[in-house]
Amino acid sequence: MLSTLNAPISLYAAAVAALMPLLAFGAIMVGTRRHPRLSAALSIGAVSMSLSMAIFLLVHHWGMAKPLVFQTTWLVSGRMSIPLGFLLDPASLLMLTVVAGISFLVQIYSLGYMAGDPGFSRYYGCMSLFAWAMLTLTISSSLLQIFIFWELVGLASYLLIGFWFEKFSASEAGKKAFVMTRFGDVAFLLGLVLLWLQLGDLDIVHLNNPDIIVQRVSPGMLTLTALLIFGGIVGKSAQFPLLTWLPDAMEGPTPVSALLHSATMVAAGVYLFSRLFGFFVLSPVMLTVCLTIGTLSLVLSSTMAMVARDIKQVWAFSTISQLGFMLMGLGAGSLYAGFFHLMTHAGFKALLFLCAGVFIHHYETNDMFEISRKGGRTLKSAMICMLVAGSALSGLPPLSGFFSKELILGRLLALDNPVWFIAGAAGAFLTAYYTFRLIFIILFPRPAESTAGKDSQPDHHSHQVAAGAGVMSAVLWILAAITVILGFFETPIHHFLETALGAQSSLPIAHRGWLPLAAGLLAFLAIGLAWLEFGRRGASQVGFVERLPALAKFFSQRWYLDHLYRFLLDKLVYKGISRLFTWNDRRVIDGALDGLGMSAVGLGGLIARLHTGMIQYRLMVMFAVVVVLILYFGFSG
Amino acid sequence: MTLYSILFYLIAALILCATTAAVTRRNMVYAVIYLVLSFFGTAMLFYLLGAPFLAALEIIIYAGAIMVLFLFIIMMIHMEEKPGTFFPSRQLLPALALSGLYLAAFVALVSTDKGGWRPLAAAQALPKEFGIYLYNNHWLSIEIASTLLLVALIAALILGQKIRRRTGAAGKEAP
Amino acid sequence: MIVPFRHVFLLSGLLFVLGMFCTLTRRNLVMILLGVEIMLNAASVAFVGSALRWQQMEGQALVLFILAIAATEVSVGLALIVAIYRRTGSIDPDVQWTQLEEGSD
Repeated sequence: MLSTLNAPISLYAAAVAALMPLLAFGAIMVGTRRHPRLSAALSIGAVSMSLSMAIFLLVHHWGMAKPLVFQTTWLVSGRMSIPLGFLLDPASLLMLTVVAGISFLVQIYSLGYMAGDPGFSRYYGCMSLFAWAMLTLTISSSLLQIFIFWELVGLASYLLIGFWFEKFSASEAGKKAFVMTRFGDVAFLLGLVLLWLQLGDLDIVHLNNPDIIVQRVSPGMLTLTALLIFGGIVGKSAQFPLLTWLPDAMEGPTPVSALLHSATMVAAGVYLFSRLFGFFVLSPVMLTVCLTIGTLSLVLSSTMAMVARDIKQVWAFSTISQLGFMLMGLGAGSLYAGFFHLMTHAGFKALLFLCAGVFIHHYETNDMFEISRKGGRTLKSAMICMLVAGSALSGLPPLSGFFSKELILGRLLALDNPVWFIAGAAGAFLTAYYTFRLIFIILFPRPAESTAGKDSQPDHHSHQVAAGAGVMSAVLWILAAITVILGFFETPIHHFLETALGAQSSLPIAHRGWLPLAAGLLAFLAIGLAWLEFGRRGASQVGFVERLPALAKFFSQRWYLDHLYRFLLDKLVYKGISRLFTWNDRRVIDGALDGLGMSAVGLGGLIARLHTGMIQYRLMVMFAVVVVLILYFGFSG
Repeated sequence: MTLYSILFYLIAALILCATTAAVTRRNMVYAVIYLVLSFFGTAMLFYLLGAPFLAALEIIIYAGAIMVLFLFIIMMIHMEEKPGTFFPSRQLLPALALSGLYLAAFVALVSTDKGGWRPLAAAQALPKEFGIYLYNNHWLSIEIASTLLLVALIAALILGQKIRRRTGAAGKEAP
Repeated sequence: MIVPFRHVFLLSGLLFVLGMFCTLTRRNLVMILLGVEIMLNAASVAFVGSALRWQQMEGQALVLFILAIAATEVSVGLALIVAIYRRTGSIDPDVQWTQLEEGSD
């Protein structure tokens, strides 16, 4: 599949895009830890080069006919070979641009946000590490390579979540994120190995080719491996049931949340799904499971977002639910719908987080009521950008979110079972509701709340408002602009994806005439409800959910999922498996070793007793030898 | 069941009981006396098995000289009967194990002898014949045994003597 | 007709085991020597029985020598025991010889 004309340039461009951040990471970690400005410069320089290469590749290959693969064999063992390389096709190039772009913007934003932090260089080092891992993941050519960089991305996430490791909750959150995604990754690895045993290679292009797959993999095995790989997606994209790590991951700095936990890393799961879309589509069970989990995540996390007080947690739950929405789109059979929503979501979710970051940076609190009381509405650029992004999230026309949501809803409508569409619509309703709940709370402050933000921990870093504000605002405006105009690029992007991916993505999207109207109406209804409860003068700012304290508690305790996990952990793992292993370690292994030692000592003691000069012991030995000789000579001759 | 076989079993029982008693007595004098009884039994056994000369020698030398020597020494050594564990288990258990092993070896060896089941034919080695045979074929061994006895005599004298000289006590002499 | 040779040999074996038991278990040098005597006696019984079985006088000749040897060995052994007793005052085989200095009369 090598296109010889473009070969060298694209290869070099891709290599530069992928590897520059690695060089920056190495340089920062080794050399420039004590020079924060230099570290930042290195990191931003590297990622800007990646961005320019990504844009170049995108433009250069706009309208490419078929994917471009550059591969080299890394390890060979008998029938199996592990390749390493780059796969450039529309999806990967688009994703590459998105990732590079948002990384770039977030890193610039961090100049202002993280200014004065003692770990400034380390922060940029980890950011570069993440950029390298994520960028290479997007253009990886084989599933194994994706897995390697998947893990690396998880590592970067751990490092960044627990960035302020002095805070116990932060390091705990990092650990929780890592361990939870690990569960998913184990399933992923199992699926990968199974697939490898069946196929002999893990090339993505081959995986998307239905002829090859159907020939060599039985349907049952196909479903099994697909479900296992999907397990990895569930872990990484924080879907039900592995979703509780993402709200806790908000312990990290806000730019990290913006980059990793809204736009790129958690999107890696959805991206993987779209990567292997041709493969997953062959198993209807897989698609149904995907739909189910996506729906569950959508609805569950929307309910959780309705009662949250911490700004970042609201957006975290929102991310989970939007990722579920994307999975619904993909599970319904449309690669394009899910992928496009991924792109637009990256834009406005990152923007939402960055706006939240401005508030947090300014008022040193995460609690939305406190921010509003301290005068949140006075930060003009943050407020306006948040309004724009929130509207996009809610699906208000003509912003980008509207287009992408409408695509997914349209696809859901085309399914046989109406429950999916209803669930999707309900999710959209709730999304608009909680988004504008937050916006109205900040916009219309109420004085003297009795319970001030107990559950909000401000990001602790030194406070340099003036210096950072300009840089942060600039980034906000850029992202807002993208949010506004991206929607209008829907058709060219669709065409771009379509031509290269051919049959895979072309399940029909039902463009019913009434659907856009209905979607918009739904959004307006939700906003109206939010206005009634939070916005208008004299509103009590208590949501309809909060009026039912049992329900509110249920939602705010995250449907007791954390409690369930803690229970399972305690009972099964700590009391059960750990205790078994500890017992084994102490009694069996140590016991055996100690026993060996003890028996050696005992044997030595025994033999020492024979040497005491006591004649009868010596006689015993003599007699024993004699009887042995008797037996030997008597019976061998 | 001939007379000889009955006799054999009776004598065998006597020997075994006497020896067992000798082995398990606390008082050494009792042990020696029981052993003398055992040697009497052995002498009778020798006579039954056709060695009258040896029977006589057994009584004269073994029971008569050696055991009496034992008695002399025991009387010389004033040993109180020690209380406490008679057979310390540290030694008892290995001894029992070895005994079992030995018995097993014996039984195994005996069962390899194909003609061993046949009863022995009674015969007697008349002393005269025995003497002629001995001096004809083993005269050298006899000479050496005599020298050995002489050596033993001198050794016993010297061993007894040395201690006496060193400590200077007008003590008992070793026989 | 007397008994089968096996029985004679078995008797000899039992006697030998008894002698060995006495040697290994009694905490008394004199008894050790006694056990040796028993073992020698057992060997004599075995030889006499073998002589009768194979109708040769070798066995009986050997018994004579055993007797001589036994006598020799007992006299020297007992002399040694007396010497030990004189030097250390005890005939326990387990005692530490270098430490007892009493009773060397």
